[in-house]
Amino acid sequence: MTTSHMSPPLLSVSNLSTSFFTSRGEVKAVRGVSFELNAGEILGIVGESGSGKSITCMSLMGLLRSSGRVIEGSARFEGRDLITLDEDELSELRGNDISMIFQDPMTSLNPTLTVGEQVIETILRHRKVSRAEARARAIELFELVRIPSAAKRLKSYPHEFSGGMRQRVMIAIALACDPKLLIADEPTTALDVTIQRQILALLKELQGRLGMAVILITHDLGVIAETADRVLVMYGGMVMEEGPVRELFARPSHPYTRGLLASIPDLRDDTHHRLTPIPGSPPDMLRPPKGCPFAPRCPHAMAQCNAALPPLYHAGEGRRARCWLHHPEAPRVAGITAELVPA
Amino acid sequence: MTAYVVQRLLLMLVTLFAIITLTFFLMHAVPGGPFTSEKMLQPEIQAALNAKYHLDDPLWLQYLNYLRGVLSLDLGPSFKYAGMSVNEIIAEGLPVTMKTGALALLCVVALGVPLGIVAALNRNRWPDTLVMVIATIGVAVPSYVIATVALYVFALRLGWVPTFGLDDWRGYFLPVFALSGFWISFIARLARSSLLETLQQDYMMTAKAKGLKRGTVLFKHGLRNSLIPVVTVLGPVVANLLTGSFVIEQIFALPGIGRHFVLSITNRDYTAIMGITIFYAAVLMVMIFIVDMLYLVLDPRIKYRADAK
Repeated sequence: MTTSHMSPPLLSVSNLSTSFFTSRGEVKAVRGVSFELNAGEILGIVGESGSGKSITCMSLMGLLRSSGRVIEGSARFEGRDLITLDEDELSELRGNDISMIFQDPMTSLNPTLTVGEQVIETILRHRKVSRAEARARAIELFELVRIPSAAKRLKSYPHEFSGGMRQRVMIAIALACDPKLLIADEPTTALDVTIQRQILALLKELQGRLGMAVILITHDLGVIAETADRVLVMYGGMVMEEGPVRELFARPSHPYTRGLLASIPDLRDDTHHRLTPIPGSPPDMLRPPKGCPFAPRCPHAMAQCNAALPPLYHAGEGRRARCWLHHPEAPRVAGITAELVPA
Repeated sequence: MTAYVVQRLLLMLVTLFAIITLTFFLMHAVPGGPFTSEKMLQPEIQAALNAKYHLDDPLWLQYLNYLRGVLSLDLGPSFKYAGMSVNEIIAEGLPVTMKTGALALLCVVALGVPLGIVAALNRNRWPDTLVMVIATIGVAVPSYVIATVALYVFALRLGWVPTFGLDDWRGYFLPVFALSGFWISFIARLARSSLLETLQQDYMMTAKAKGLKRGTVLFKHGLRNSLIPVVTVLGPVVANLLTGSFVIEQIFALPGIGRHFVLSITNRDYTAIMGITIFYAAVLMVMIFIVDMLYLVLDPRIKYRADAK
């Protein structure tokens, strides 16, 4: 982490809470999430479906479905609070300073417009350039994301592309206006394994070249390990653990993170261990538990875990973990370091 | 592509031929004929009439003769209106029917689609509820009820419009309203549900995430995709409106062709039944063909190829 500690972070999310108001009641999808992101940094957000990782980012972009609302918190991006911006101000930022790519490239492109048009319209929206200049830029972008015969393919429609090529188009659209922040929501989940690698390598390379910050949302720890600088582990709408990727993988400080790591198959290991799944299922966010949301599934759960929500304990270089095991009086559990101190 | 168009046109001719054949034999299978009536004609007169119109020929010969006529675009003489050919009946009624039909179509497109859009964009709020209540009534209440009630209120009670005929331009209001009411409602409902579905699509989220303005997102990305099912329905709607409606023409005493279709059947006016059926079938097939061609413009995923069977 050589990026300066002097300059303020590019994005600073503080105590963000988002709920969906449905006929069945209030679904508390995101509950008090805080994190910071420096310019040029890749932050991985990992968690299972429903952990609130996508909703956190949709809240930042102002792209929540109509039943969803940010109920508290702030998200300062270059000094401005994204949460308080109106739709016009947000739309100026979207696709320009902050852009986004989505999970399914098969459905994320408009089937009735040429891919070229879908890139060009983004450029024309945010830059005062002529159509010809925008077109030239689109060709440049296609070359950047390595779509062969770029000029010719501008006239193609999405259905004439493979999944991997469509995701490249999505990346080209996202990069059209040199964003400072790229949010990639499960960008490789819908792709073949070999294509996943290519797309991740491309993202990482472009990030290095263009110097933008990236938030990479995924449920795949492998993707995080290869790509991210720092990881945020989310569960039940909350940050469970945060830390630099190497340290967090080497010494997980939360039983949930440890569970996630144990459920990854290790191909170098030929001792035929069974994979270790995490038993149980995620909490019902209509009625989130009073205590730690992971407690019902946690092998180390204590009475205290169900009684009260643990605070985020933190120590050292950006490591935080929301677990009672880090309380000074908690029993020591091997593998989960208890060297952290309360905030 | 050219091969496909040629194939489609040939298929239309085959379909038309099948319709002619089926209608011809079904029509003759029904007991009675054009000159059967309660008042028995004298046998000599009956025989003379049958001879004049070749009704005493064997059926297959009548059929072949009729086909020959159709091939030369001659739909034959009417059996009921002495001295008039079916071609003349159609030519006389068509302008009236087309004029009211075209106006009705204009209303359907100009009102149905926007109402559907307004409803979809205000989903579950009062404009949506209002449009949907009216549209549900419009779909459920038959056109003759709408026509009769409208006639009573606007023509009889208020006297704003004439009760019948098209001599006055105001005469168009009620027939056009009655003709288009059902389809405006139908199209509004269809456009609403189609747009709502489109709004849920991932690419709409992409369009918003690109920072496009609300109008661009809606009209450039949403509307075109949601109009595909609407266009599908509009083809048959055009055919339906342009060929008139028996009930509406009857209620407003319009000299269109819609009523000829029903009257020709009760009259057993063989040539008129055939001629108007052929005309209807042709209009419908042409409209469906046009819709299929419009898909090419609306949806680039669609490409047509002639079957190489």
